[in-house]
Amino acid sequence: MKLSPQRKFKNLLFKFLLTLASVSVLIPLILIFNFLLQKGSMALSLDFFLNEPKPVGELGGGMAHAIVGSLTMVGLSALISVPIGILCGVFLSEYRQGKIAAILKFTIDILTGIPSIVIGIFSYLIFVVTMKSFSAWAGAFALSIIILPIVTRTTEEILKLIPKHVREAGLALGLPKWKVILHIVLKGSKNSLITGVILAISRASGETAPLLFTAFGSMYFSDKLTEPMASLPVQIYNYAISPYDDWQRQAWAGAFTLILICLGLNISARLFFKRKELKKFFVRKS
Amino acid sequence: MSDVVLKVNDLKAWFDDFNAVKGIDLEYKRNTINAIIGPSGCGKSTYIRCLNRIHEEVAGAKISGEVLLEGKNIYAPDADPVEVRKHIGMVFQKPNPFPAMSIFDNVVIGPRLWGERNKKNLEEIAYKSLQKAALWDEVKDKLHQEGTSLSGGQQQRLCLARTLATNPPIILMDEPTSALDPIAAAKVEDLMMELKDEYTVIVVTHNMQQAARVADYTSFFVLGELIEHGLSSDIFTNPKNQKTEDYITGRFG
Ligand SMILES: Nc1ncnc2c1ncn2[C@@H]1O[C@H](COP(=O)(O)OP(=O)(O)OP(=O)(O)O)[C@@H](O)[C@H]1O
Ligand SMILES: [Mg+2]
Repeated sequence: MKLSPQRKFKNLLFKFLLTLASVSVLIPLILIFNFLLQKGSMALSLDFFLNEPKPVGELGGGMAHAIVGSLTMVGLSALISVPIGILCGVFLSEYRQGKIAAILKFTIDILTGIPSIVIGIFSYLIFVVTMKSFSAWAGAFALSIIILPIVTRTTEEILKLIPKHVREAGLALGLPKWKVILHIVLKGSKNSLITGVILAISRASGETAPLLFTAFGSMYFSDKLTEPMASLPVQIYNYAISPYDDWQRQAWAGAFTLILICLGLNISARLFFKRKELKKFFVRKS
Repeated sequence: MSDVVLKVNDLKAWFDDFNAVKGIDLEYKRNTINAIIGPSGCGKSTYIRCLNRIHEEVAGAKISGEVLLEGKNIYAPDADPVEVRKHIGMVFQKPNPFPAMSIFDNVVIGPRLWGERNKKNLEEIAYKSLQKAALWDEVKDKLHQEGTSLSGGQQQRLCLARTLATNPPIILMDEPTSALDPIAAAKVEDLMMELKDEYTVIVVTHNMQQAARVADYTSFFVLGELIEHGLSSDIFTNPKNQKTEDYITGRFG
């Protein structure tokens, strides 16, 4: 069949708009990356990745303590919130009829919408005020409240992709519901779940606000969870507003590192899909 | 042991307020094949989904009446649906292999999760079930590929094998051959005939010839009601009800 010129024009116009939109998403990404690389590359050195800061005035030193601090607190928060989040997601998807599920859903929706700085203040009141000290725990707690609703919603959405008749087939084999959920539903969505969890963690690793008044930040390596701990975002913030050129350069390098970590997490999340599964996931979703 | 394995007394089923099955009374004898025929939407699927307590998994579903399995009501307050379903297996209308799971694991998941851990035994079960389901030759070299990678008809036979692996004395089949080509369908029909020695089969079908060929008894449903039930030979050659006659001769439905 031949397309009329009018149809052809509309098709072209639409394609053009779609391409324009896609490019406008890409441009900021490339610009940010380029910018960070330019500004930060001068401070990127082995020293930067291996050492803690030198005293003011001395050149050199790095953010290794902040990288370790970020990994520690993000890791801790993931340990807390990922299991709880997955369980809540399972509950929302598999037991959605009940009243409790409705309340849980409402709570999760609200949690998702709370600005991260408010979560920081909340954690400050609970931990910092009562224990009279900034601490890594307080930071990890704040981050876990940020991760929790994301993991819950992602889990729920992913499990809903498994058709109902698959669950029925499991039950029809004489399997109790919990075995169907564990061995058929969760197992069948394992890869998508891992992806979802990694993306949630990656989101949390860039948060600054909730760490400002909880973990506070520090200039040294610390292995005590009850004391202040440095993190990349807070370190970047502190250095960026400092008057010293060397620190500002390091802030750029820190930002670059942070982006690399997030990018690495995102890419590893994607890799959990083999190509075939990736296709299936998107086909099923659409 | 009594001759009757399954007895249905005044069974009714609802989706919210919609009454899909309106009071069915039927008996099923041991080692027989029983066909259910009737126009689309008349409640055949809903009816057999009540026989293994799967209907209640639908939101808003309601059921009344009795289903006596070897004389015991599966809807009694102390009856455990999980136990009921171990005795009454089901092959669904749409093929539904478990996702991200190999062909082998799909077949043996029932026995494995019931506690069979021995690898040899599981391999034996997989071999026998796939053989019976007329699928072995097609998949024997790719047992570790995903079940969802098979064609629709192969998936349906995979689901059949999965049910056979759990060895239930009663097997419900909801249009098991509607997704199959004539050769595979004929194989499944042969299988039903063989199954008769050990199992009781209740099968929903839109294929009149199939019902006439394989079923000992046939029930005719219209709009959630049982219009006629009897020996297939009677139903298909000498129906008592005018509606039945119209339906099997293709003038109604
Ligand atoms: N989940 C549901 N919710 C509400 N109504 C339903 C649902 N499933 C089926 N029904 C209705 O119940 C009636 C019986 O449906 P059922 O699937 O049992 O028919 P059937 O005889 O198996 O049809 P077919 O031959 O097309 O498979 C139909 O009117 C249908 O619209
Ligand atoms: Mg049906």
